[in-house]
This record gives sequence, C-alpha cells and structure tokens, in this order.
Amino acid sequence: MNEPANTLVLGLGNPILGDDAVGWRVVEVIARELAGLPNVAVCTCCRGGIELMEEMVGFDRVVIVDAIVSAAEPGTVRVLHPGELPTRHCNSAHDATLEAALALGRRVGARLPLDDDIVLVAVEASDVSTFSERCTPAVQAAIPVAAATIRRVLSRSTTRPDARAEMLT
Amino acid sequence: MGTITIDPVTRLEGHATIDIFLDDAGSVQNAYLQVPELRGFESFCVGRPAEDMPNLTSRICGVCPEAHHMAATKALDALFGVDPPPTAKKLRELFYSIFFVTDHTTHFYALGGPDFVMGPDAPPAKRNILGVIEKVGMEVAGRVLNMRKVGHGLIQAIGGRRVHPNWGLPGGVSKGIDEKLRQEIELRGEEAIEFARFSLGLFDDIVLGNERYVELVKSEGYTHRTYDMGTVDAHDKVNFYDGQIRVVGPSGKQLCKYEPADYRDHIAEHVESWSYLKFPYLRAVGWRGFVDGAESGVYKATPLSRLNASAGMATPRAQVEYERLYETLGGRPVHSTLATHWARLVELLYAAERWVELARDPEITGKDWRKLPTATPREGVGSVEAPRGTLTHHYRTDERGILTHVNLIVGTTNNNAPINLSIKKAAQAVIEKGRPVTEPLLNMVEMAFRAYDPCFACATHSLPGRMPLVVNLRSPDGAILSTLSRQ
Repeated sequence: MNEPANTLVLGLGNPILGDDAVGWRVVEVIARELAGLPNVAVCTCCRGGIELMEEMVGFDRVVIVDAIVSAAEPGTVRVLHPGELPTRHCNSAHDATLEAALALGRRVGARLPLDDDIVLVAVEASDVSTFSERCTPAVQAAIPVAAATIRRVLSRSTTRPDARAEMLT
Repeated sequence: MGTITIDPVTRLEGHATIDIFLDDAGSVQNAYLQVPELRGFESFCVGRPAEDMPNLTSRICGVCPEAHHMAATKALDALFGVDPPPTAKKLRELFYSIFFVTDHTTHFYALGGPDFVMGPDAPPAKRNILGVIEKVGMEVAGRVLNMRKVGHGLIQAIGGRRVHPNWGLPGGVSKGIDEKLRQEIELRGEEAIEFARFSLGLFDDIVLGNERYVELVKSEGYTHRTYDMGTVDAHDKVNFYDGQIRVVGPSGKQLCKYEPADYRDHIAEHVESWSYLKFPYLRAVGWRGFVDGAESGVYKATPLSRLNASAGMATPRAQVEYERLYETLGGRPVHSTLATHWARLVELLYAAERWVELARDPEITGKDWRKLPTATPREGVGSVEAPRGTLTHHYRTDERGILTHVNLIVGTTNNNAPINLSIKKAAQAVIEKGRPVTEPLLNMVEMAFRAYDPCFACATHSLPGRMPLVVNLRSPDGAILSTLSRQ
C-alpha cells in the first residue's frame, strides 16, 4: 500500500581509529548487497551534529551504525533512537548535538526523517583510543551481527521502539 | 577547601576535566584542564608512503580535515623539494579560504556565539544554536545552513570530496577548475562577503550594543598579556595559507619572524605529568610556568593572535573591521580572550574577500596546476593557519619516500598553556569564598576556553564527538569537594 521508504544506511566514525571505525566496516560489508535496492542509499560519515543532520536531508528513514562506549560487553549490538544514549559521534562539539541539529533542520523546513525513523545500530567498542585500521576481535566478530541487525531494520516498515526487540533477535 | 570539576564541557570535542584547586581560605589557587589521549598516530603513519599523509592526517578528526590536508600537502612540497606553479598555489588558497568561511561560520553561530547571543547566564539548554535562532530569527538559521551548504559544495567541487579532500599532491593539486565553476565560485563568494558583513553587524547589535558584554570582554578575568603568533605575508598582513610565522610580545613588539621549517629553533615543548598534551612555548623567552607577561614564553595562536601578530588584513573591508576592533578595544594588541570571537568574524570577512579575489584571478583557471617532483625525499615541514591556530606538519622519510618520523603541532596544542591560564583566571574572577558555585559561574569558566575554539581531537589525537566536561572542586590536598557535570 505504502511506497517503500527512502532509506539511508550511514556508517559513522573515524575509519582509522580502531573500533571507532566499526560503522564504516559494517557498511562495507552490507553495501554490496544493498547496492541493488532502488530505495536504499549507503554512505559513511565522520562528523556528528549539523553535518550528520545534513546527510539525512531528503530521506524518510535513516539507519546509523556507529561504535558506542558504555558499560556493555565489547561487541554487543543494540538498537537505539535519538534521545536515547548518544554515541560518540552523534554530537559534535563544534556545532550542535544531533537532537539540536535535527530541530534546527526541521525549523528551516529541511525534509528530515521523524525521530522514530532514525535508528542507531550501536556496537559496543573496546578500544577507540588507538589508531589502527583493524577493530579488536570482539568488535570484528560483531560486524556480521550488526549487518544482520540492519537487514532486519530494513525489512520492517516501522522502527518504532516496540519493534526494536525483534530486530535484535 | 575543594575542587570543582566540570563534566561535560558542552559543545567541545572529545572530553575533558577541569580541576579547580582551592586554597585553605576557599579562593582559587590553581585550575587545570585535562584531556584524554589518543594513541599511536605517529606509529600508525611511520612505514607508509609520505603521499598518504594528506589523506591520513585529514582523518585524525572530523573538525578541520581541510587544514590537515593542506598542511600535509605543503609538507610534501617541501619533502619532495618541489615548488608548485602559481595556479596550484592560488587554487589551494581559494579552497582554503572557502573552508575558513565555512568553519568560522559554524563556530560563531553554534559554538562561541551562544554565550553572547543568549548571555552567559542562560541555561545550557538555551545556550546553543537553537537558542540563537530563537533570538535572532529563523532567517538567520537559513543563512547559516546555506553558507555551510555552499562552502561544502564548493569544497567538494574543487577538492574532490565533501569533507575529506583527496586533491593535494606534492607539487600542486590533482585537478583545476573550469570557467563555469569559477563563475559559480565568484558568485558564491560575493554572497559569502555579504554573509560575513551581516555576521559582523549581528555582533555589533548583540555584543557591542550591550554595555555589560563589552565590560565582560574587557574584564581582567578574561585578559592575558601573552605573546601572539600568526602567519603573515610579505607585508606582514594576515595570511591563512602561506607566509612566515611572526611572533609579537605583549606590547605588540616583534619578537621574531621565521620560516615555518625553522619552528624547532623557536618553539620548545614543556611537559607536565598531569597532562597528555604538551605545552609549547617560545624558546627565546623560556618556560616560566603558567603565567603571562613578557618574561613568560607562553604564546597564543588564535584568530585574535593572528590579528595582533599582523600589520593588518590584506583585503579592504576586513582591514576596516580590523581597525574598528582595535579602535574599540583600545589599540593593538588586544589581550581580551573573548575578543577572539570578534577577531574570528573579521577573519570570516577576510576569507570571503580573499575567496572572491582569487576567483577573479586570471591564473585561477590555468591548466598548469602541478609540477612533478623529481628530487629524492628526505625531510619536509608544511604549515598553514588552521581556524584554531598555526598548524605544522613535519615529516622525515627514507630515500623511497617511506615515512620514518612524523610530528604535528596542531592549533589547539599551541594554545594549551594559555587555555589553562584562561581557565584559572576566569575561575579566580568568578569563584569567591562563601559564594555558591553555580551553573552560570561554571559557564563563565567554560567561556574562557570556548573562545579558543579548542579541538582536542587532534591536539591529543582524540575523538570527534561531544566533549563531556567535568569540573572538580578540590581541596588543597586534592580531595574532591564537589563535582559538576553535564550530559
């Protein structure tokens, strides 16, 4: 009935900073299989705040995959929404938080996805302080898990919070 | 008595802790800013081809990749002993001017501006770009976002990618521009000039039109009489892309002027056990601790420093604004940290004017944009003015051009000692015995270093992202009396 969502899958992080690059690595894995889908775009980004908001303009739904540092086991994959725990990159110290940037964009009339249609696939990182092109083993092992999570997110017509538990199973 | 800790520092990169040590009487004795360290960037680079550096160093963080790209590219010129043709140099400076407009715009409206536009007493939830827009109007928001969009679009058109250019090569650049793109760049540059003038007008209305803010800017708590550093052209005018490094003393008298490649003859680095970040100082003056004055080798490298270290701006409208700044604040040099925001807007106008000048240069569409290097590489230093201060890249390689040594002195590192001075002085000005330490007071402390637009992402090789700030209020023995933090 409804047209398929105009969806962006975005890998966020610094591609040469160990586990911080996991968003980029996940997108590299999944980009090939998403390339054939007419309504899904894939990109990478290393800036939070206004820059990140600007990347989302024009999309109905955005899936951001990024490293997160919390108390969880390295490699744990979670699905979050804006307003929940931010990852390192969603907030840029040099401009605004993602929340403020989205509000700013909406105020000036930019076409942006609703908060419920912005999904963060967050991979718990172990080391985001050492320059390296490789993730640590636990995070490396989580890359296919995160890719599978993105597939499940994309297969849902909604990404509302009550549907999130299913996405991780 | 105690220590104050601020966590998080809103609107700053990475994460940091400010420790404020009180003496037995409850007055501020010392204040230190600590930032976390990212490890291994030099060893990550060693063993790679030097030509990778413009792309690698621009990945250190997401805030000013264009500055690293340009400093690295210039270091490769020196490393390979090749002087780029005039068209290449002008294209690089054009690209760099557009980047400066974009970066300074973002800082003023999103990071530094809210302190003035909303006022230091405003709650943190209001002291952001949304609060600014609420106060100055939606039309301004559209102009800010449009200026960013124009800047990023042209950076991509010239430099190949939107954020991380892959354009700079030893001896020049990988491609030039055609007449159609030149016309677009010129047209957009004229808009940028208008935007910069509009922003200066806004500063006039909101800051200079408010006696309380002017007093705050001039107040002793936000004043440091240090040396100032900046890159100048042959006429001692401010230049972001190329020139000599000029250092002037607290009275404005020139201490030295040198080629960037000679930086080690003039700059030494002090180390403190409590900080991962080093403290550069002027070798000729020496390290005397965290103090200002002509006897202390502490120097600043900020937009205001660049103005102080120069004889003026090389473009007409920016020169008028330069003169107005000094007339208003009592002559050159100005040592009021908060005037850095004003200096940033003068630079914004200069960058926009230079953008148009270069777009109109007959050589800018020339086809000779690269000179192939033929010399055997050994050692090279490249330097530019990053928005946050003088940025120096220094590489050594073997005869095949494989890196054996990498050293970066980034904008914020130059300012590490003055940032600590500023925090201490601001804390001393606002924290008094028996007076409760409140959120607005802590913001006054934060304002002291926000003026530097510090980016610890590459200063410590640290992360892009939000910088949480913790302020610990500590007793003389180091025990934490209270902690304030923000999420």
